[in-house]
Amino acid sequence: MEPTQSEFLRGTLKTIVLTLLTNQERMYGYEITQAVKERTRGQLVLTFGALYPVLHKLEQEGLLITESVEVEGRLRKYYSLTPSGTQAAQQKVSEFERFVSLMRLLLPSPKLALNNL
Amino acid sequence: MEKLNPQQVARLYDHLVRSGTDTDLLSELLDHLACEVEYYIWLGLPFESAMDKALMEADVNAVQTLRQTYQRELSLSGLQLESASKDDILFQFRNKAYGAYYLRQAYPTALRNAFGLTLGLFMMLIGLMHMIGRGSFSYFSIWGALWLGGLVAVTLASLSWYLENERQRIQLG
Repeated sequence: MEPTQSEFLRGTLKTIVLTLLTNQERMYGYEITQAVKERTRGQLVLTFGALYPVLHKLEQEGLLITESVEVEGRLRKYYSLTPSGTQAAQQKVSEFERFVSLMRLLLPSPKLALNNL
Repeated sequence: MEKLNPQQVARLYDHLVRSGTDTDLLSELLDHLACEVEYYIWLGLPFESAMDKALMEADVNAVQTLRQTYQRELSLSGLQLESASKDDILFQFRNKAYGAYYLRQAYPTALRNAFGLTLGLFMMLIGLMHMIGRGSFSYFSIWGALWLGGLVAVTLASLSWYLENERQRIQLG
């Protein structure tokens, strides 16, 4: 992954995780990385090193709750949203959309931006 | 999809422990890596190369970076830090269940009980020796009061010690 991409990713990881969990009842860590990979057709890859600190942080903040289930002899930790987590997810998404629209104002017109790539 | 057997999972576990994985993350990362290996096998890789590939992604560097990020992100902050005791700070990211955390927490009580017990026994001893020396005993004298005071101190300290022990027994199951 390019360094700039990982820089953007770091700022939006919470939003990504919370949004994914609004669509799914509960998910475990590996499932989240796979979901991100699938939806972005392999262009965005979450490393476990970035994901798990965020998951645990969100749990600490009370936005996620976990349940451990034994699957095939291994302990699997499922994450799901709490009511305040659902609220936070909506808020994060709307904030991020606002930010994107502001960025569009700052960036040169799309046509020029494409030429610069 | 083919599943890893316990020996293969144990190999992943060894690797994670040796790379210095946080205890809080261990079981989760183990599942993560196992899923990854199974995925590579499903893609058609033989077990050994699937294992190597997954382990390469989770090498010592990656695990250490994870450890650092984890501790930075989840360290006590602001309000938590204000209400945290020295033990809470010291034992952050350390194994609390091992026992040292509990010993430290129980130390002030243990010290108080021991002090009460010693002082009480000493007072009783002095009262007793005086009584034996004089050959008579009255509760309404300094020595009698000393004996009674010692008795109370010993009783309270023993009771507190017993309660603490019970609490610990219940806590540790």
